[in-house]
Amino acid sequence: MKREVKVGLFIVCTAIIICVALLYLANEKGFFARNYTFTLSSQSGDGFTEGMPVEFSGFTIGKVQKLELNDKGLVLIKIKIPQKHLKWIKIDSTFTLYRPLIGAARIIVTTDNLKSAALPEDKIPEVQIVNDINDSIEKVQPLLDKVTQIAENLERVSSKIDVMAGKADVHVFGSEGTMPQVNKILKDVNGKLERLNPTVDNVNKISTEASEGLKDIGILRSNVDDTLNAVEDVAKGVDSIISRKKEPEIKLP
Amino acid sequence: MKKYLILVLMVFICACGSRQQFPDWKETAFRNFENYKKNFLNDREGVSEPHFVKVKQALSDGNDLNLLAKIYLTKYALHTAVLEDFDDSEFVRINKLEPGKSNIAYFNFLKGNFTAVEDNFLPSIYSSFVKIARNKDTTKAFAEVNSIDDPLSRLIACGIWIKHFSYDENILQLAINTSAENGWKRPLWAYLIKLQKYYLDHGETAKAQNINKRLDVLKN
Repeated sequence: MKREVKVGLFIVCTAIIICVALLYLANEKGFFARNYTFTLSSQSGDGFTEGMPVEFSGFTIGKVQKLELNDKGLVLIKIKIPQKHLKWIKIDSTFTLYRPLIGAARIIVTTDNLKSAALPEDKIPEVQIVNDINDSIEKVQPLLDKVTQIAENLERVSSKIDVMAGKADVHVFGSEGTMPQVNKILKDVNGKLERLNPTVDNVNKISTEASEGLKDIGILRSNVDDTLNAVEDVAKGVDSIISRKKEPEIKLP
Repeated sequence: MKKYLILVLMVFICACGSRQQFPDWKETAFRNFENYKKNFLNDREGVSEPHFVKVKQALSDGNDLNLLAKIYLTKYALHTAVLEDFDDSEFVRINKLEPGKSNIAYFNFLKGNFTAVEDNFLPSIYSSFVKIARNKDTTKAFAEVNSIDDPLSRLIACGIWIKHFSYDENILQLAINTSAENGWKRPLWAYLIKLQKYYLDHGETAKAQNINKRLDVLKN
């Protein structure tokens, strides 16, 4: 086999494999599946968007294809359901718009009896609306009222405290209040303390002089002791020379 | 000739002298002991006690427990002389270590245990007095106490008699006169107060008041 034939065969095989793979993927993605369109109605279009998922038991089985407003003012919601999920849409199925507090809004399909007849495409069931945000707001509303009431009370108390603070200000800081009198007393005390300063200095001086004097007294005392000892020695010497002194004796009286 | 006379005189003077010396601790103890007694009787407690401490210290330095016991006995005798009680624990402690018969005799004498007193070991000045005390002969007490020459011994005898026997104002007056003659403030006041109480106990309020006024005057 020639080289050109081999290359051509390789390219053809590769192209076939790619096409088969693409077809397989397209089939798996439902590209070739048939889609059924159902129409739902709602009093308000608030919360509906095109491309919004349609879920059954937590699985996405379709999506909102188009939103329209009819002559009667009703909002028509067209949903596209692939054939493989058609079995979940029955005549007694209910459609609910669920708007969670956190996360994207979606249409939830609930079917109680899966053996019921399929929903005809010309029937237009109404969408019920479950709004977590509004429910939460309704639940929070009493709390908000109470908070508002508390805030009002706080404001009232605050105003009373303001009044009291004003009165206290007058009593404490007024011209005849406590603080001016305290200031006056402090000034008096300060003046007296200043007058005491020279006295304290004098006391310190006297104390220092006394301390130095005590040192002198210590020296003087040692001198006196020396002198007395010397006199005592002389007296002993005289005693010993005179020799009239008796031996000292401690007697009972 | 004159030089020889001076030389003989110098030799004579030197011959009169001797080199007798006493231990310092003994002299210190004796001197302070006399000062202690004098200051105690003059009611100068603040001065007397340091002297007593010095006596104790000096005698302790001389390791003489007998003398140490004697100074405690003297202290007790002085307290007796001014009609005060005394704590004898120190003497008892010392006496256990070194018992002395004269000390025990004097201690019994001060405590009023006259039958236990051995007369031979008691100072002779009290020999007649202790016999009278042993016989509780109150009629001879005044005369016997009055016959004691040493004023301090006389006061001690007065104190012992007043403490252990019944007494009259004569013996109190004797103690007062003895104290006054020697200028001893502490016993003077003690016996004046005792005499005042004696008069009050015997219903002689006028005399008691007189003593009270005398005390007021003496106080100043």
